[in-house]
Amino acid sequence: MNVQTVNPEQKLTIKDLHTENPRWCIGCGDFGIVMALKRFMIDDTLNPKDTVNVSGIGCSGRAPNYVNTYGLHGIHGRPIPISLGLVLVRPDLNVFVHSGDGDALSIGGNHLIHGINKNFNCVFLLYDNELYALTKSQTSPTTRKGHATNTQPSGSYLDPLNAIRLVLGIGASFVASSADWMPDHLGQVLDAAFKHKGFSFVHISQRCPHFDPNNFDHKSTSWFSFLTHEKGIPVDKRLADKVEVVQHDPSNAEAAFKIANSSRVHFGLYYHDPKKPCYDQILRDLITKTEQKSRKDMFAKFRI
Amino acid sequence: MPTIQKNISRFELLMDAGFGAQKAGDILISAFAKAGKYVYIEPLIPAEISPPPRTRPALSGVIIRVADFDITNIGNDTHVMLASHEVVLGRRLDDNETNPEAIVLLDMGDKKDNEESYEQLLKRVAKMGLQVIPFNIDEKAQFLIKAMSGKGTNMYYLGMLTHLYNMSKETLIKEIRHTFKKLKEEILVKNIQVFEFGYQFAAEHIPLSIEVPGKPHGQEQILIDGNTSLSMGIIDAGIKLYSGYPITPASSIMHTLAKEFPAYGGIVHQAEDEIAAIGTAIGSYFGGVPAITATSGPGLSLKQEFIGYAASAEIPVIIIDAQRSGPSTGMPTKTEQSDLPAVIFGSHGDNTKVVISVSNVIDCFYAPTMARYIAEKLRLPVFIMTDFLTANSYKVIDKPQINEIDDINAIPDFVFERFRIKRLPDHIEMVRNSQSIPGTEGGMRRVTGLNTDQTGSVNYFAGSNQRSHEVRNEKVHHVRRALTVPEMFGPSEGDVLAISWGSTRGALEEAIINCRKEGIKASGMHLRIVYPLPLMFKEIFAKFKKVVTVELAYGDSLKPAPLMMLLRSETLVDVRSLICRATGRPIRPKTIKEKIQELLR
Repeated sequence: MNVQTVNPEQKLTIKDLHTENPRWCIGCGDFGIVMALKRFMIDDTLNPKDTVNVSGIGCSGRAPNYVNTYGLHGIHGRPIPISLGLVLVRPDLNVFVHSGDGDALSIGGNHLIHGINKNFNCVFLLYDNELYALTKSQTSPTTRKGHATNTQPSGSYLDPLNAIRLVLGIGASFVASSADWMPDHLGQVLDAAFKHKGFSFVHISQRCPHFDPNNFDHKSTSWFSFLTHEKGIPVDKRLADKVEVVQHDPSNAEAAFKIANSSRVHFGLYYHDPKKPCYDQILRDLITKTEQKSRKDMFAKFRI
Repeated sequence: MPTIQKNISRFELLMDAGFGAQKAGDILISAFAKAGKYVYIEPLIPAEISPPPRTRPALSGVIIRVADFDITNIGNDTHVMLASHEVVLGRRLDDNETNPEAIVLLDMGDKKDNEESYEQLLKRVAKMGLQVIPFNIDEKAQFLIKAMSGKGTNMYYLGMLTHLYNMSKETLIKEIRHTFKKLKEEILVKNIQVFEFGYQFAAEHIPLSIEVPGKPHGQEQILIDGNTSLSMGIIDAGIKLYSGYPITPASSIMHTLAKEFPAYGGIVHQAEDEIAAIGTAIGSYFGGVPAITATSGPGLSLKQEFIGYAASAEIPVIIIDAQRSGPSTGMPTKTEQSDLPAVIFGSHGDNTKVVISVSNVIDCFYAPTMARYIAEKLRLPVFIMTDFLTANSYKVIDKPQINEIDDINAIPDFVFERFRIKRLPDHIEMVRNSQSIPGTEGGMRRVTGLNTDQTGSVNYFAGSNQRSHEVRNEKVHHVRRALTVPEMFGPSEGDVLAISWGSTRGALEEAIINCRKEGIKASGMHLRIVYPLPLMFKEIFAKFKKVVTVELAYGDSLKPAPLMMLLRSETLVDVRSLICRATGRPIRPKTIKEKIQELLR
């Protein structure tokens, strides 16, 4: 691993952010996500030394290893509590959380609920390839009904869990979605997510050509729409003419639920509430609002 | 009525939960301590909040041991019992901790509706040969208690105990005023009146007065329980984040810190579950900010994966395990020491960690400092093991020295000496060469639970994984080599060496003192760092004919008790169990002495 120092005078480059060649399958959507993140970091001039990528377990869990920032590849389902620890004590850092559909919605489901409810300041990326891939093709909470996996070989039994509806229901302050094969759109989503103060939930449709080559037809555009609005996220430049565009005001929660409930896929900003209080800020404010005491006198109240 | 002089006395106040037995006890012991007497208090706490009154699970109370010399444990048995009714008394008699000459004061107020039950209990007490003094709360007091919706009986009993233990009424009134300073004056006055009625009643009707001498010794003293002491120790150690999930008996640490921590720049985070709680502590420490989590049995099981992760990723973390009776939910408000194997060997794969134990409130105060030093030097998980007894027992102590630690290199020598360890080498090899924290220019690095080489790059080659094991274990070996001879009671040779850890220290020390008074060649040894063990045990053990352990954990002739198993496996010496009981009650000094005598017979 070559640790490279980035000269702040010089513009950060993709090469600066490179660590090693990712060990993902050819055609894996994770390449696109990590590349979009790097481009976003360059465009928004994030300093790699002040940036931490935190992940759980799974193919997505490897992402931090491939970006030359600080990184923490944690345990399965738990990147949210780790990130919260960092954010609580180091609000100076840019924290990105990388989590798969199994990691975030199954084993780590509880943390997702409470991360969203606490609204601590981070960008949360849900890599949704609709199955467990690193463990070799098992049904995940978002596997579409009927898709055969090694654990449900006759076809997955249940309707997939609707992640966007779930997080809207929990009360997420920022809910957006994009796809690994739309670098321009994903970059715009990351930019908006990063600028939001709070828990920015970003759902990313991620291809898994190895275990489910049919999950997202990235060559066709008929199956999805873009959401856009003056307060929203611009449509993908490359696809602007080919895709249906829906005007949606991201401050309208009711409309956001309706869109999330529809059977059609929508990419863009579903919901944004910039005013929801952040738990990490509340806890830090508690210190600034409390008169600081010297430890020398800590036993005063226990004196007999 | 003559006052009996005693240099030590143990008494109990037994009531239904929610009627303030512990509060009354707290007031009395503050007064005792100010009068220069030494006290040790064990609260009896039900596992439920408000079990139905007049049922056995409703028993709530305090055991107070008061002496004219420093005491280290709750002792053998009780000399005076004051019970609010026959059910709680009967429940407590089942624990077999009553002195054969004990005096029982029994409130007969419930008798008219429970004739039969009272008769049976009185018969039982008579059969045990105990002296019973039945009494009724006088009418004037009854009237006031009714006016306070049935509350206030604890003040009546407090008044009785104040007279019984020959304390000044005025001192106690001052204490009551201090304790209830937030109460409305009118209610406070009623409480004080009830107290005075109780005092007066005892003066006129209870033919018993005990005087335990004491003289104020000048030093600044504090009254503190184990978990509060741990909490203040966390602040003194320079830890800045506490992350926990509610669980008995660890919760009171979070309660104390929730009130105290912000004033010292600390954050208390109540996590969504036990796993998240340790995850957040690890995240903080990865960011370079010292963090701690605390839990108890079930939570310990849940945290295991993250503990292994911290060792592998080389992120320091401190975990307090406040042990209770297990397995599973077990007995949440009873004490036990059965978590030792789960702590030392818990988490899958090879385990590298250090385990500190606390035996009293002073250990509790310094343990977080010691834990921080080791955790940060080695970048490994460090445990602080306490238990229900240590967590909840109060003691009056001379105010401990406050160190205001920020830099671990500034920790004074006496803290190392307390835990019988020398400072670790300046340079300790890590699996990864760089341990830079986020924000450090040019230090960008990724940590992972996967095996890596020195550069931090994921590596599955045989040599690399073996090296990682060696490096992690060498960290623990550094501690092994730095450990000095543990605390000893009695000479370093003799017929029997009894070994304790954690909360059994006080009982062992007292038992050894009493053994030696009778010429029994018994010594004691107490471990504060329980894992790893120092390297000289074989030589120490060789000077005794028998080496035994004293543990509040289950063991029998076929199942080795945890500490005994550990000592055997590490030394190949034929260490046996002297006591390996898991009843939920503390080990008594008397029992240890009797077992030693039996062993030497």
